[in-house]
Amino acid sequence: MRAILLQHPLVACVALGLSACSWYRFDQVTRNSPVELLEKPDSINNGFGVSLATAYNPGRTQVLVGGTVATSGTALFELSNGPGTTFWNSGYCSGDGPPCFLSSLTAGFANAQGPDRVQPLCFAVGSGAVTKQGLVMHCMDGVEYTLDMPQAAQDLLATAIAQNQPRDFPMATDRRDDPVLMAALPEKHLAWFYPEKSTVFSELTLPAALQVDDPSFGHSLAVLAVDGGRVLALGMPGKSQVFLWKADGGANSRYLGCLGGTTGLGRALAAGKVNSDGSDDLLVSDENRVYALDGAALFELEETTVSECSFPSMTAGKLLGSFACGSTSEVSGCEGSEFGAALAVGDLDGDGDGEVIVGAPKMTVRDQENAGALLVYEADVTADSSLAEARFMSSAESGDELGRSIVTPHLSNHDIIAAGAPGHGKAALFYCSPLFHFGAAGSRCE
Amino acid sequence: MFALVKLVFLSRLSRRSAPLLLLLGLGAALAPAVSAQPKDAPSKRLEAIRAEMDKGQGLFVAGNYAGAAEVFEAGYAAYPYSAFLFNAGVCYQKQNDVDRALAKFREYVKVDPRAPDLDKVNQRIAALEAAKAAAVTAAPLGEAGSGADAGAGVAPVVLPSGDDQSSMKSLVVIETEPDGAPLRIYQRVDANAQFTLGAMNPGFKEVVATNAPANLTLDVGQYHVVVEKFRDFNASEADMTISPGHVHQLKANLSQGKFMAFLRVSSNVMGAHIWIDDKKKERSRWGDTPHGELVPGGTHDVLVEAPGFEPFLSNVDLEHGQQKELEVRLERLNYGVLRLDASAPVVAVRVDDQPKGVWRTGTEPLDVRLDAGEHRLTVESDGRKTFKGKVVVPRGQILPLHVKMIPKYPRGAAWTQAVIGAAFLGASIYAGVESNRLYDELKSDRENGRLDASDERATRGKWLAGGADVGFVVAGALGALSTYNFVKDPLPESSVTQGKLLEFDDPLKVRPVARLAPPKALPQNVVTDAHGPRLELTPSASTTGGGLRLGGTF
Repeated sequence: MRAILLQHPLVACVALGLSACSWYRFDQVTRNSPVELLEKPDSINNGFGVSLATAYNPGRTQVLVGGTVATSGTALFELSNGPGTTFWNSGYCSGDGPPCFLSSLTAGFANAQGPDRVQPLCFAVGSGAVTKQGLVMHCMDGVEYTLDMPQAAQDLLATAIAQNQPRDFPMATDRRDDPVLMAALPEKHLAWFYPEKSTVFSELTLPAALQVDDPSFGHSLAVLAVDGGRVLALGMPGKSQVFLWKADGGANSRYLGCLGGTTGLGRALAAGKVNSDGSDDLLVSDENRVYALDGAALFELEETTVSECSFPSMTAGKLLGSFACGSTSEVSGCEGSEFGAALAVGDLDGDGDGEVIVGAPKMTVRDQENAGALLVYEADVTADSSLAEARFMSSAESGDELGRSIVTPHLSNHDIIAAGAPGHGKAALFYCSPLFHFGAAGSRCE
Repeated sequence: MFALVKLVFLSRLSRRSAPLLLLLGLGAALAPAVSAQPKDAPSKRLEAIRAEMDKGQGLFVAGNYAGAAEVFEAGYAAYPYSAFLFNAGVCYQKQNDVDRALAKFREYVKVDPRAPDLDKVNQRIAALEAAKAAAVTAAPLGEAGSGADAGAGVAPVVLPSGDDQSSMKSLVVIETEPDGAPLRIYQRVDANAQFTLGAMNPGFKEVVATNAPANLTLDVGQYHVVVEKFRDFNASEADMTISPGHVHQLKANLSQGKFMAFLRVSSNVMGAHIWIDDKKKERSRWGDTPHGELVPGGTHDVLVEAPGFEPFLSNVDLEHGQQKELEVRLERLNYGVLRLDASAPVVAVRVDDQPKGVWRTGTEPLDVRLDAGEHRLTVESDGRKTFKGKVVVPRGQILPLHVKMIPKYPRGAAWTQAVIGAAFLGASIYAGVESNRLYDELKSDRENGRLDASDERATRGKWLAGGADVGFVVAGALGALSTYNFVKDPLPESSVTQGKLLEFDDPLKVRPVARLAPPKALPQNVVTDAHGPRLELTPSASTTGGGLRLGGTF
């Protein structure tokens, strides 16, 4: 008996030695982690992560995280490939200054044409009255200015400001150095754009026969930079329609047609280089699938006045691929997952063409319902593409709804994913990807 | 095999005396066998005298004259026979103590004026006195010539020498049945002479003429005893050899016309029980060693037993008038007894791994009979330390053992520490395993690009890891502490105290014990009360006052 008891200390010592339960290894494993959660500033009460926008100017990458549409502010973060992300500013459209209504879709610019000169690293954040009433632009070094809007929009904004009744002015832009800004006013079924290096808007017109009296008008926007100009896309998912225009670089624009047919088409739109032809391509989602359309091919469409909306006729020869929801051992629940709630294209692996990132904010992750996930597809094929990977936060919680918003900030040689999880006020940066050679993306991915 | 027998012929009565009817002093019951008679008073007295005489003689032979003189003096004080006086005088003479020697010899002559050796003793006295006188006369010369002796004033007395053990006188007791018979004793002066009753017998010298019973002090030598015609009985005779410093007893049964034989049985075991012609011990024992009595001539069965010894049985042939001593050496039994008690309420005893019984406090010690020799003893008791040791069981004796059972040192604290330590250890192992699992998950997530720094698993794993480390330390400390407390034992081991070896109980020496009358039962309806109801009125007084105190019990 005593001999057995004498073994206790020995067992304890051996167990202690074998445990290697040093707590600091947890600090090591989480230090400079491949997923970084952006810290929500106290000024943003709720909805952190509803909207995202990114801007890249060589050497600097910024991400703007928006809160609840029209009632909350934004937080600006500057990213680096190394450890740590710098919180840059939380004053945009915070309500502390002049009236400002945060838009559901914000836009980031490498450079934006200001009233006097080009301003680097700017964000179109909403509508308000900075210097005057119009679309509010925030740029580096605290530069703020407004852009004029069509008179109807201008009048409505004046009324909104006067009555303190916020209005949503969704916006989109492309990633060129001289981008085109597109904006819409769903309430008035208006859409317009600002050509390159211009602060003067140009309205986008639709055939008179088209019925656009739907509140979902302008719910999604996309600006495709293609060789020779832009393709402008506006979604009206309430009627499962997506309207397309093209601009040749100036103030002129021509209506190209309308995509329609499948339920919920136009829930989300995104532009990016899916293939390697150098032009942006269009991503559009309906309730079940995501489609990638060749932007260059769309740009080649002739102007039309046809009011009919057709998907097959419009996409014939232009469909790069389509993507359906997929599951993994840890991510499940495609049905009701709101697959396609947000879309983005990013060159995650640095190979020159992009990967399609689809938000599915209602997916179940590791038994956490509605935690949300990002489904990544390689779209350099013409056939339906299979799921390449599913991204989620290791700290996923039920109700996070990761994937409500997605952008792909550009770092030195590749893009990363930024996604909002407004359910619990989170926004995460996914620095690493199995698609990208680990180590090449920095110490976070070693 | 178990006993050594030494037959000593102390005295031989001549077969030629067979026609004489020498009576055996013990009644008709002795006819076919020796009477079953415990030691009677005369026999005991004689045996005591014999013991004193033998003791003094032994000391004299050993050269311890002072001791011998002291024994003889004591013997005379207890049993005033003149032989003691003479022997004491010889002892003093051997010590050159002329005054005390003269005193003893003069007292001898005084108390036994009819002693057969009276002349010899007177001559001895004269010689001593002469030697003493010569010493006094030589004293002046000594003063002039020797400074060393000048202070003494008396020259050293040179006493006649040549006394040896044969100088010791013996006591001779001669009895007849019936008493009062005239007897004469002749000392053989010619070694080849044969005594003829009624003849001149020139080779013999009459030394005693008296009537029985007679207690005589005789020199060493050959004697012839004649019991003359008495009443209607014919004369009887017998030869008698007197050895130095002994007690001789002769008894003649005149009606039978034969002297009885005398048998004395001694043993290396004092008090061994003797049965004569009673192998089944159906009668009372003949006596206890050393014991001697007159017995009829013939063959007798002698059984000697003593508790703890092998019994001895032998046949002894005795001729009429023969005196024989049977020295029996009893051998110890080849087994012994452990007599065990302990300082615990109940103990279980095992010897050589075999259960031997249970002893409970308040009961007689547990006796375990075992072969003599070394044995393994195990004594166990609940809550006490087990005693294990070796004991050597004596042959034919009882080994008293008292086992001091030491309580076991309490291990409650050690067990508590061990249990708590084990709980800590188990919890720590669980926490460690869980921590490792979480770490593996986090590491996997990191490798797959999913890990974010705010993952609560990292916090949980950190706490678990820290808790496991702390738990291991606590468990180790408690384990070490409990081990120490398990090993620690300030109490001594159980031990055994060996008592003085005891002899086996002798059932023949157990005194009957009167049974106590059982206590009278109380009536069932009577309730005992030591005091009974009473009232007390006690006066009290002190410097501050006084009063009466009323109290009582009910």
